[in-house]
Amino acid sequence: MADLGDKKGIGNLDDPKMPYDYSQREYGTVETDDERARFQWVSEVAYKNVHRIVARGYDTTELVEEGYGVVDLLFVDFQARLPLIEEEKMLNYIMILSLEDGLSIPAVMSRMVARTKTFLTQACGAAVLSFGHAYGAYSSFGNMLDGYLSEADQGADLKALAEALVAENLGCDHLGVSDLMLKDPAAKRMVARAEKLGVAGKHIEFMTHIVAAAKKASDKPVDIDLLGAIGATMMDLGFTPEATWAILAVTRSFGAGAHYIEEVEREEYTHLGETLTPKDTYDGPADRPVPPIGERDKHARPAQTFTTTEWKKAFDQRKKLHGSGFAIIEEVEDPSKMTGTKSVGKKLH
Amino acid sequence: MSREPLLPRKTAISYKTEEKTVLRGYDLSELAEQGYSFCDALFVLFQDRIPTDSEEKMLKYEMGAFMEHSMSPSAVGAIGVITGRPNLPCAVAASIMTFGGVHGPGAAHGYMMNQYIERAEAEGKSLDEMAKILVDEHLDNKVPVMGMGQPQHTDSDPRAEPIHCKQEELEIGGVYLEFQRALEKHFHARRKAEGRSYVGVNVVGAGNTALCDIGFSPNAAWCLGSVCRGFSCAAHALYSMKKGRAWGASRREPMVQMIDLSMIKYVGPPDRRVPKQDERQEYARKQKEEGEYKQWLI
Repeated sequence: MADLGDKKGIGNLDDPKMPYDYSQREYGTVETDDERARFQWVSEVAYKNVHRIVARGYDTTELVEEGYGVVDLLFVDFQARLPLIEEEKMLNYIMILSLEDGLSIPAVMSRMVARTKTFLTQACGAAVLSFGHAYGAYSSFGNMLDGYLSEADQGADLKALAEALVAENLGCDHLGVSDLMLKDPAAKRMVARAEKLGVAGKHIEFMTHIVAAAKKASDKPVDIDLLGAIGATMMDLGFTPEATWAILAVTRSFGAGAHYIEEVEREEYTHLGETLTPKDTYDGPADRPVPPIGERDKHARPAQTFTTTEWKKAFDQRKKLHGSGFAIIEEVEDPSKMTGTKSVGKKLH
Repeated sequence: MSREPLLPRKTAISYKTEEKTVLRGYDLSELAEQGYSFCDALFVLFQDRIPTDSEEKMLKYEMGAFMEHSMSPSAVGAIGVITGRPNLPCAVAASIMTFGGVHGPGAAHGYMMNQYIERAEAEGKSLDEMAKILVDEHLDNKVPVMGMGQPQHTDSDPRAEPIHCKQEELEIGGVYLEFQRALEKHFHARRKAEGRSYVGVNVVGAGNTALCDIGFSPNAAWCLGSVCRGFSCAAHALYSMKKGRAWGASRREPMVQMIDLSMIKYVGPPDRRVPKQDERQEYARKQKEEGEYKQWLI
């Protein structure tokens, strides 16, 4: 290791602004910390040993032997409880309606992946990825509902809360009220089914007020859509917005699997370089010669700005270039409530 | 074989005929023939322009510094996925998708800078004054300042300050570097005044600053970083695939493996009897009424 000792003179690494002496940085991995318990996969959801798989305390083999099924297991895994028969019926109903949606985005994603000649699982995974905050926006929808309902818990009037929610969210992708299902009765029938089964609760009640407020506030006909009906019903069944999002994305992925299969059965694979993009679909810069690399300095314009006014001018100009990213702001937040598992693990010594 | 477009769309990025592929007006083949680099092409892709020599060097440096980071969520994600032995792209995709609000939040850092630089312009404040406002507003509200701190490199991210220095050496420091430097100064000063430990700038704080100064938007910068990391994660996945054991659960390995049964610690509801179907409704009703399950709700 002696020849590794003198590490001076590498680029800027001797710069005094470095937070520590880079030439003296240690080599080698960090030694095992035997003061703490060794790594463990900590879970509240399930464990297994050589002979059993146990979810939330229930042996899963015994569950299925007793006649419980995958829909019941969703309650066990996500809520640590067995559902009432009516609740199990309701979730079945929702999952059937969520299974297929024609050639909508999850199916298109699945079919596009299928055309590359790959595993079905990749296509199903791609379909799951298509659930966002506009398409299948169950997380955004549910958190919006819960945010307002927390005020109802403190005594606020549901009708007034619904009007406030609509005033703030009318036209949003995740409102659950739109013009998508004016001719399709499926959403309203789902709510009716929930009421008939006796599983409708405060979320459906609140959604009814929201629909009424939206109809009043909107300048075009609107009604509850599938996002609103499914989202509210799932939450009345006790599922969190995030659990709802995941369960329904995976549910749709079964349908996407079928689309993968049909695509492979009926269509051809697509090869690298095969698909053309006709020039008449292109509205970028006109064809131009590539400048000789020796003339780079003559053609290149640096991006740096040095005052906020220059920066603002450049920024506004850059917004006009499609595909540059300057015209959009993506919400990237840390959704975790806490990190670490400080309540488990113990010192070995 | 159909060569019709799969999706009818207008695009300003590129077109492709039987004769050539054209990116922002430049024939891609011609760009390569002329000796431009992959990094040059990334400028054309996201910014519709040929970069200066220094800007190209900066991007090359930043991507080189960012590509490999050993065991971060991205590599762990790739390794975890590949233990089931799907196709390799699944593991690579998973690694890229680990980038979010905490792991390499490049876009969030860029948005934060843009928001406060715009405020500086609107409120007639200097970048230094606005950097202090940013630090105070974030710390007063217990909101993390993006680009500061790294959970593994606790003395300061070894990639970060060298990136700043490279940007200075290449003389391409603009508004963003001035603002980031000021942000770091006020951040350190405030923590010191509060008697708190030193928290250095991380690779996002430094790297993203450089990417913004060379003209990339927050999302474009995020794309460059996270997708670049996909390269090294592919290597981690491939190593695991070729030299490691599938599942990572073997009991014959000298070291306890990732999903060895003994690694599981369960802290959920205690073991319990499964009720018979004829007991089910009453059982479920009681369970729901008692509400004990709510503590396990996720």
